[in-house]
Amino acid sequence: MIVGAALLVGATVVILGACVLLIIAVVAVRARRHSRNQRDEMLLSPLRQPLITVAAGEDDDGTAAEELTWATGVSRTVLDRNIAEMLTKVRGVPAEQLVHVLEVHGAVDAAVDDLTSRSTVKRARAAQLLGLARAERTVPLLVEALGDESVEVRNSAAYALGLIGDPVAAGPVLAAIGAPERGLPAATAAEALQSMGVGISGVLRDGMADPNARTRMVAAHLSGERSFTRGLPELRRLLDFDPDLTVRETSAVAIGRLGRGEDVGILVSHTASSEPLALRRACVVALGELGETEAIPALVLLLGDADPRLAELAATALLTMGPDGRHALAGHDDEPAVRTARLLASLQKASA
Amino acid sequence: MSAPAGDPDASPVRVLVADDDADIRDLVEFKLTQAGYAVEAVPDGISAWEAFAANPPQLAVLDVMMPGLSGIDVLRKIRESEFSSVPVLLLSAKSRDSDVDTGFAVGADDYVIKPFSPRELLHRVNGMLARAR
Repeated sequence: MIVGAALLVGATVVILGACVLLIIAVVAVRARRHSRNQRDEMLLSPLRQPLITVAAGEDDDGTAAEELTWATGVSRTVLDRNIAEMLTKVRGVPAEQLVHVLEVHGAVDAAVDDLTSRSTVKRARAAQLLGLARAERTVPLLVEALGDESVEVRNSAAYALGLIGDPVAAGPVLAAIGAPERGLPAATAAEALQSMGVGISGVLRDGMADPNARTRMVAAHLSGERSFTRGLPELRRLLDFDPDLTVRETSAVAIGRLGRGEDVGILVSHTASSEPLALRRACVVALGELGETEAIPALVLLLGDADPRLAELAATALLTMGPDGRHALAGHDDEPAVRTARLLASLQKASA
Repeated sequence: MSAPAGDPDASPVRVLVADDDADIRDLVEFKLTQAGYAVEAVPDGISAWEAFAANPPQLAVLDVMMPGLSGIDVLRKIRESEFSSVPVLLLSAKSRDSDVDTGFAVGADDYVIKPFSPRELLHRVNGMLARAR
């Protein structure tokens, strides 16, 4: 009994001690961060006005930018960090002037060196800085960094390539999604590719034939987002035959965005009850997005579907099709799907 | 940069700027002040609405994502107020079509996506005020 009580007291003391140590550690880290922020603010203080002047595009004679180039030592490091942050906020001539300051400080060259640093944090930060500085000459190095062992570095490299926007990098970014073990998250790749202009439509078409399903999905999604109509034949093929359900759903949505009247048939065919439910729903949404009145009879039939969500999506699609679609709903007002769709539409209108 | 048009003896046009990002707040304030506007800059949505209600400006530049009240919330309050016709420009990092649609649906007169060109922002402010006159 006494031994048990002693053990309990001992365990309590250990736990309390651990808690106290944890609190001390948290307070110490916060205090250190606070004091570092204060130091940074103090160091930046004399450079704050020239920085704002350049960022606001009010440095017509270049004196403020020149003043920024004079910074040395720790002040320069703090300033360069702030300039990098400012580059996420402004574009145009002010951004070009700020990049020039970074170049004079040697920050861009240092970032190139840091891309091969042993520190993951340094590599990731270096990639980001090169992107923010729109350092086009470093595209090959950033493409190489897409295969980095760290996902943070791979993400930063893709982000940087997106900022630089050179379509030359589109193929490697898309291919990096399917890289074994060192893959790039699909969302990161999609975001980077979004920034690369119309020059990537060919890469996306090729990507829809990639062996990796996530690569095909991103290529299909972006073809729809960017309205690359030349990808329509591949999208139709994916919708019909792809072995991956998500790819088929994504293709249906993309066809809804950029398809034509002739796509009503293929979308309607995949709303059949023999198809997977997720694909049927995606096709109904796509028919609404497509807005072709030829789809109205098929959508009216789906108002009585066994899946209530699908029926509601069909009603919503009809509501978005203008007078013809709304006319087709006449006589179905008592159906729960139609009531729900009308209610949702009015709520959306009210909250807008 | 050209000063806002109008009678040089008249008091400057007042612009409210609300952004929780000090860099953006400072640079927009500086840009507009250099152009001859009288700027009141605040760091959050609640302060923005208080400043607006206390002394309605001729134009407001609102960040969308702010603590307390968002720019959309402030815009909604402005449109429901007796000074509902004050032009409002939304400044936001939210760049999706649906974000822009929401901004205009609530009543924004313009929507500028970050990163932005301060020069372009000034042109838009000048244009909005010219149309409002």
